[in-house]
Amino acid sequence: MSVYLPIAEMSVDALLLLGIGLGVGWLSGLFGVGGGFLLTPLLILIGIPAPVAVASGANQTLGASVSGLIAQWRRGNVDPRMGVVLLVAGLAGSFAGTQLFVLLRRLGQVDLAVSLFYVVVLGTVGALMVRESLRAILRRRRLAPARTHQHSWLHGLPFKMRFRRSRLYISVIPPALVGFGIGILSAVMGVGGGFMLVPAMIYVLGMPTTTTIGTSLFQVTFVSANVTLLQALQTGSVDIVLTLLLLAGGVAGAQFGAAMGTRLRGEETRALLGLLVLSVALRLLWDLLETPGSLYFLGTAT
Amino acid sequence: MTSPGLVPGGRHGRRPPVPWRPVLRLLLVLSAVLLLPWLAPPARAQRDDAAPQPGPALAAELAQPRIAVDTAFTGTDLLVFGATDRLIGPTGDNVVVLGLGAARDVLVRRRVKRLGIWVNGPSARFREVPSYYALVSTAPVAGLLDEPARRERRLGLELLTARLPGPRDPEFRRALIELKQGSEGWNEEESRVEVSGGRLFHARLPLPSTIATGDYMVQVMLVRAGRIIARQELSFRVDRVGATARIASVSRDHPLLYGLACIALAALAGWFGSVVFRRG
Repeated sequence: MSVYLPIAEMSVDALLLLGIGLGVGWLSGLFGVGGGFLLTPLLILIGIPAPVAVASGANQTLGASVSGLIAQWRRGNVDPRMGVVLLVAGLAGSFAGTQLFVLLRRLGQVDLAVSLFYVVVLGTVGALMVRESLRAILRRRRLAPARTHQHSWLHGLPFKMRFRRSRLYISVIPPALVGFGIGILSAVMGVGGGFMLVPAMIYVLGMPTTTTIGTSLFQVTFVSANVTLLQALQTGSVDIVLTLLLLAGGVAGAQFGAAMGTRLRGEETRALLGLLVLSVALRLLWDLLETPGSLYFLGTAT
Repeated sequence: MTSPGLVPGGRHGRRPPVPWRPVLRLLLVLSAVLLLPWLAPPARAQRDDAAPQPGPALAAELAQPRIAVDTAFTGTDLLVFGATDRLIGPTGDNVVVLGLGAARDVLVRRRVKRLGIWVNGPSARFREVPSYYALVSTAPVAGLLDEPARRERRLGLELLTARLPGPRDPEFRRALIELKQGSEGWNEEESRVEVSGGRLFHARLPLPSTIATGDYMVQVMLVRAGRIIARQELSFRVDRVGATARIASVSRDHPLLYGLACIALAALAGWFGSVVFRRG
């Protein structure tokens, strides 16, 4: 069953879009990530023009995160206070990131910069997550007592704030820095940033895995709404038909994912997300190294 | 009475009635028939080329002057049909149909390997590249017309790209053809103009689902003895209709409203999903 997309100006198989939406939505609910880092490349792969894929991907991420956010909120897994701190810093960061993106484009090779960014960031994050979570799983197997978070210099910073849901009493500076940094990265890489936010909250802020997922969805919801609006205003490449088709599969997938996530242990969820992030990084690295099928491609003439 | 040679004589027939009118009319008809071989060439000189016979040598029409792109659009074929005054065939006339889309600038880039990874290398900008190109004919065009004639009428992708303003590098020109053919925007002689009854012809120009909206031109050419003796230009339009058109126009004319609507709809879909699946 084919459907014509009004903004992308092409017709695609509706069932294929529903399937992609379902798969990405499932991951979104399970891991609390928007799935943009998977969705956008998949849409480009099936022939959607890149600007439409990026803009509509952000719009679909919004819907999927709202769905996941409601599911997580009911389970009491959202730390609104932490979410607001991350969000405010994240919006400031994404503004700075947009400026950096413009600068990179002026220098040329922005595609290469984004690809390398992806490989390095995803590769590092994925590898660290897999290593840590495997250790945690092994430790539990040996019935060794799990250590609570360690105290470091981070706990000596001023402006302390109580994040009750996350059972944390820490300075507001580390979450603000994390939010700002991820705002920059997400603007440059064109994604919501959930896949970087979740590990940062776990390893840098020491939040429990359960609240990181709900809180990350909180942040991703607002960041993707911001991106959707900016894309609609600046590039006019948000395709609502594409978005709604992806969402039809995505909201269902997000609910299944969220339900499944509660049955998994924190370290198991982290290991799976780590593996996913790592495999995307390897795939992108492969694209950089492999001889392309065609040495030529059509660019957009401005 | 349909002969164009009679038209000047017709004016005399409209004079006030006189008794010798039938005689005069007969004389006029006779003189017109006799003069026709001399009268016809100047009368047809305004057309593309002279034809030795009265009546149009070529008449062509499009089945749809407007292609409507709606939600169910998956690409279509544009039917071009018409008739000629002489027999079409290997020993007779030939028909060439060329479809062209609006001209645009196109950038072709090459990937190069630097330090082990593939990066964007040199690029070539071509100007006035037709967004759509389709060529069909009754027989291979290369055997019908010589190269200068084909070059002038842009008959053949090699000749089309050769005269595009842009860098001379043949590699980039070949890549442009391959990329455009791969995206179904360009095609040349993938099918033939079908002939029935010796004089009626029809051709189908494939319009892919990715076809851009806007104005298109179809040229129908009649080739006789290695020359284009008649040419007809037809045009059609590709337009979005219905919901597709409305979404596109709101997105273009009211981007803020459209963006807010996209946010609201996506959030609503997410909320709706969580309500439906809570029961399940």
